[in-house]
Amino acid sequence: MKSPALSALTLVLFLAATARAEDIVVIANPAAGPISKEQIADIYLARNNAWTPIDQSAGSSIYAEFYKKATGRDSAQVKAIWSRILFTGRGVPPKQLLDSEAVKKAVAANPKAVGYIEKSAVDASVKVILPL
Amino acid sequence: MSGKRKILAAPTVLALCALASAADAAMDDYVTFSGFGTLGAVHSDYTQADFIATVSQPRGVGYSRSWSVTPDSDLGGQANIVLSEALSGVVQVLSRDTADGNFKPSVEWANLKYDFTPDLAVRLGRILLPTYEHADIRNVGYSLPWVRVPVEITYASTATHSDGVDALYRIRTGAVTQNMQLQWGTTQLDLPGLDFTLNRARIALFSDTLQYGNASLQLLYQQTDASQNPPGRLRMEGVGFAYEPGPWFVNVDSNYTHNSYFGDLLAWYVSAGMRVGHFAPYAFYSAMHQESVGTSALTSLGNQHTVAAGVRWDFAKNLDFKLQLEQITLDSLDDPAAFANLQPGARVGDKAHVISLTLDFLL
Repeated sequence: MKSPALSALTLVLFLAATARAEDIVVIANPAAGPISKEQIADIYLARNNAWTPIDQSAGSSIYAEFYKKATGRDSAQVKAIWSRILFTGRGVPPKQLLDSEAVKKAVAANPKAVGYIEKSAVDASVKVILPL
Repeated sequence: MSGKRKILAAPTVLALCALASAADAAMDDYVTFSGFGTLGAVHSDYTQADFIATVSQPRGVGYSRSWSVTPDSDLGGQANIVLSEALSGVVQVLSRDTADGNFKPSVEWANLKYDFTPDLAVRLGRILLPTYEHADIRNVGYSLPWVRVPVEITYASTATHSDGVDALYRIRTGAVTQNMQLQWGTTQLDLPGLDFTLNRARIALFSDTLQYGNASLQLLYQQTDASQNPPGRLRMEGVGFAYEPGPWFVNVDSNYTHNSYFGDLLAWYVSAGMRVGHFAPYAFYSAMHQESVGTSALTSLGNQHTVAAGVRWDFAKNLDFKLQLEQITLDSLDDPAAFANLQPGARVGDKAHVISLTLDFLL
């Protein structure tokens, strides 16, 4: 028989674990409207250049998590797609910034920019346009 | 190092460099250097001809030597220069085994691009040709699912770039995005297997890539007017399809070539692969067939077919390793697409077994 305390602890740990994994939000300038997941995938896979995507650093866990959720692709696949764009002269891969703070600043400063950060890092300078 | 092409392209490179340094400020933001390369080894068990990795290579493996690192190896460097919000430039220098049989670097790309809107751009200078799916990244092994683009599809048009102008236009209709490209310029074609060298030809090309989510359809029309060896117009229509949802991928491509001298040629392939962790196994079937006879009286120019299987392994950041096995059947002795140096002992129906190992990297 399980004690209620143990069940509660399990639940808390489970919630903490899922919250950790689902914490990413897509942000834009406060003036921006909502956007679909398909549009975000298009923007980050170089199929839509109406927006300027801002990246986190390629080695970070938020980078891997974001691409997995938003595009269904892993880091190596994303790299292969952008290397194709780069070497055919159609564009340059998104600028990779050091952390969520830097992404927030870049997005706040450019009305065409989109980025992704942890939900907990959101403040009034940016607007959440899509939770992942 | 001092080839004719290099000299012609040098002023463009210098101009771009001058413009780049004029742009000044924080250079990091304006100039991006990147590179790619492949270290490859290839073997063929067929000693009556040389298997070649690109149609314009004069020498390969099988007859001349058993193993070689030259057919698939290459090294490229690129500079992207942002001059203003709308104006940018790109220069790419490539070294690989070409028709000259050496690794003399050549300028693959050197152009200026002006974006009138995010959806309309014009480029001026040396521009890569998108003659078939993956044509514009044929040398970037890391971006290809295979060791190389199936050679049959590349047979009828050996030009890699043109010097001239093009316009890129994007239209969105609901969920479908169309990327159109209209290109016009002069180009250089080499057909060493037939001892023809078309030094200059005028080229016009229109391509439309329709993208719907992970699916894309590429339509192409290319027209080449050569002034010599043999003169005449070469028209090509291409249809390609790709579906790449992520866990698996399918690529189909085809082109049909019309020429009064060579006759009509049909080339196509079907390829599929999947992703299992860091591995991406794949297989393809590829064929080249002459459909009608021209004034040359050749009846089976380039004819062959290939069955291949391979695997890509993304073992480290910016690096992949590929192993590819192919069985190529010679359906003709008139310059079968993937071969050079055909020997008197070659027979129609002969099979070549080719093993390729490559290490692709990005810099």
